[in-house]
Amino acid sequence: MSQTTTAVAKPTTAAAPRQGGKSTLGWVLHNVVWIWLIALVVIFGLFNEFFFTTFNLQNIMVQATVLGMIGLAVALPLLVAEIDLSLPANLGFSSAIGAMAYSDLGLPWLLAMLVGIAVATLIGFFNGLCITKLKMVSLIQTLSMMIILQGALLALTQGRTITNLPDAYVWIGQAAIGGGWPIMPVVFIITLVAMAVLLRNTVLGRSIYAVGGNPVASNSAGIRVDRIKIITFTIAGFLAGVAGFLLASWQMAITSNQGSSYLLYAIAAPIIGGVSVFGGRGNIIGVLGGVLLLTVIQVGLAIISVPSFYVGMIGGFMIFIAVAIDAIRVRYFG
Amino acid sequence: MTAESARQPSEDPFIFRVENLSKRYGSTLALRDVSLGIRRGMIHGLLGENGAGKSTLVGLISGQRVPSSGTIYLDGRPIENVDVKEMEKAGVFLVTQEPMIIDHVTAAENLMLGIWPSKGGFVNWRKLRADASRMLAGTGIDPQAMAGGLDAVARRKLNILRAMFSGGKVIILDEPTAALTVEDRAQLFTFMRELKAQGVTFIFISHYNDEILEICDACSVLRDGALAGGTEDVGSLTSEQLSELVLGRGLVLFQRERHAFAAEEPAVRLRDVASGKIGVKAFDLRPGEIVGFTGLPGAGAKELARAIFGLAPTQSGTIAFGTETQRPLPATPRDAFDMGIAFLSDDRHRDGLVAQMTIGENISLSSLSVVARAGFLRPEAEKLLSDRYFRAMGIKAAGPAAVVNTLSGGNQQKVCLGRVLATKPRLLILDEPTRGIDIGVKQDVLRIIDELARTGVSVIIVSTDTDEIVRAVDRVCVFEDGAIREEFSGEAISSERLRQGAKERADG
Ligand SMILES: Nc1ncnc2c1ncn2[C@@H]1O[C@H](COP(=O)(O)OP(=O)(O)OP(=O)(O)O)[C@@H](O)[C@H]1O
Ligand SMILES: [Mg+2]
Repeated sequence: MSQTTTAVAKPTTAAAPRQGGKSTLGWVLHNVVWIWLIALVVIFGLFNEFFFTTFNLQNIMVQATVLGMIGLAVALPLLVAEIDLSLPANLGFSSAIGAMAYSDLGLPWLLAMLVGIAVATLIGFFNGLCITKLKMVSLIQTLSMMIILQGALLALTQGRTITNLPDAYVWIGQAAIGGGWPIMPVVFIITLVAMAVLLRNTVLGRSIYAVGGNPVASNSAGIRVDRIKIITFTIAGFLAGVAGFLLASWQMAITSNQGSSYLLYAIAAPIIGGVSVFGGRGNIIGVLGGVLLLTVIQVGLAIISVPSFYVGMIGGFMIFIAVAIDAIRVRYFG
Repeated sequence: MTAESARQPSEDPFIFRVENLSKRYGSTLALRDVSLGIRRGMIHGLLGENGAGKSTLVGLISGQRVPSSGTIYLDGRPIENVDVKEMEKAGVFLVTQEPMIIDHVTAAENLMLGIWPSKGGFVNWRKLRADASRMLAGTGIDPQAMAGGLDAVARRKLNILRAMFSGGKVIILDEPTAALTVEDRAQLFTFMRELKAQGVTFIFISHYNDEILEICDACSVLRDGALAGGTEDVGSLTSEQLSELVLGRGLVLFQRERHAFAAEEPAVRLRDVASGKIGVKAFDLRPGEIVGFTGLPGAGAKELARAIFGLAPTQSGTIAFGTETQRPLPATPRDAFDMGIAFLSDDRHRDGLVAQMTIGENISLSSLSVVARAGFLRPEAEKLLSDRYFRAMGIKAAGPAAVVNTLSGGNQQKVCLGRVLATKPRLLILDEPTRGIDIGVKQDVLRIIDELARTGVSVIIVSTDTDEIVRAVDRVCVFEDGAIREEFSGEAISSERLRQGAKERADG
């Protein structure tokens, strides 16, 4: 019916919900991340053939891994209508703890790595406790936690870069099989599948969506809202810990501000992928789309040799477009 | 043409006229080719089953939504491309079925939403407060109270009062009485008559025949989105005729065969419940007994129900099932469900539904552990459960995979009820279970509750709907000042007695 489109073109009040959702426009907007991704791949490829080489594809996969892990971590609190800004800082801090447990305490590298991940998990758990039991506002609580952890990392490293990582520790970030295909993305793929199963097929996943959608109703429906939120923050902390290990292993170094540069991208990725900041909406495939989109933008701009002064601006602009289109989608198609 | 220019009156006897109006949502045609007229200065009833298209129709004529096709005339002039704000400027105010309340601002500000008195671009707070106090006089609502802390009745009243005091020439009320007490309803009707005498036109939606017969001059009936009939003279109809007009068939009213339970051993024993203002020393329920809780808002009926379910903090209180020993009342709803207590809230938007999830997901939400093994959901088990209650409740939707916020109000209520029943409780507590449900389905719901009671489940129904109490319960408990003031059962339960009691309490 042609009227569907006129209805779309006309702004309605905030109270007016979705209009006819089955139109082509609706479909396009629903899949905007993927369409935008394909378009950019084609554009970058046209600018520079190097973009389509195996080497570059491998590069994109590796780059997407760390961003993907931290993006998944950020997505979890968003699903329960909270936010955890401290995750990238947690990533850096916990990896330094892991490395120092090896170098200063002399623990075997595997144990040291697990210590790092455990610390990250505990920080996530602690954030969850503050937000539920102390009713702290997650935006502010995790912002302060972020500053604490960034400061703690600086104090731990005394401003130096940790580089004396054992070979076994950096293996996962360096190893490749036939033709230079890196191993590291396998971790990301396993995590993606695990998270997708968790959200789709478990009681916990269903509860996460319910809590994000309507916490009051979830409580009345017999869901332990606080517990679900704490678990969510804890898993997010765990993922940040794994991401920290991967990043250190890949870069073979831990800088005194390790992870901080991921903050904005880690938040942008899930949101671009359709995870609502109001909670209860979004899925893992969407997050993957957001992660790939951001990675392609970063890698692509570097490859077509945009002068470095413009990279930030153009990248930001592309993200802006993606988010704007998504906002339009939510407004008219729910 | 804009709503602005539609403001000049014309000779058209109809203030509103719609021609061939249709509204499509994706594949559902919510409204098909409806043509009707609303006479100036009349109270026009709009009737129909759940999902018939009533809210859709008033949403279109109030500028809330855009028609798919057809024309709307206000004062004889076609209106196009207007939004709610423009329609309000033109004097058309809609009180939506779903509450429109901003929780974190005061009652006064909610009353003045979008119509703040202003001076040179600044809100005139003094006038706002004065106006709000005047509007709220006698309602018992504190203008400075945060709206989020108000109960469902008070929240409903804020929306209604905003429209009634708006000075508008057309006021549309979508199921305004669903959350109101008998007293509030009488006040609303008096107010409506006063405004009508001043020339205000009303469109009034309700599922209660007695209300339509009492207040409406004319009415139109929708069925499956199409106009199914109507009359210019409601006064000449009986309640039975009205039901037949709505349903397209005769209606058999449900009446429970009341049982005398006194001799049996109690199935549920409550002791020393104290929570806030309420104090109940002892209260027993027999197996399969249905008890009605009634009383003015704040008298304790709702509060006790919530306390038993772990939704309100208690100072003391124990409960025992059958021969079990007394245990403390559940501290959380989860504990309550685990003990076999289920509760349906009277406010489905606030704590009944997760609106963006599907019907099926909402139905299974309180029974997740039953449809899961080792934390993993079993899709077949879940589907079985949700399909079963989807059918049992007669939910009108494409299927259990439909998203809840695309459902009509009454159908959302059925989803809530389905979720609660699916937990297979031993004690079922229902706060206004048939709120917003149409007369036909209401009988079905009462029948389902009745059948559940026959299997031994004890039921508490909190209700201000006297008709529902008379038809569905074995015993009535009247609450006053946080305690059970009066109990009667069997033949003593009658509409007259309940109404009389309510009136005396309201006056005294
Ligand atoms: N946003 C929407 N998306 C899809 N379908 C919708 C939407 N809103 C309403 N509908 C459908 O339109 C039909 C009419 O709904 P409407 O709310 O007008 O019913 P109603 O007569 O007000 O019912 P009730 O008495 O239950 O309030 C229903 O089948 C409903 O599912
Ligand atoms: Mg309705």
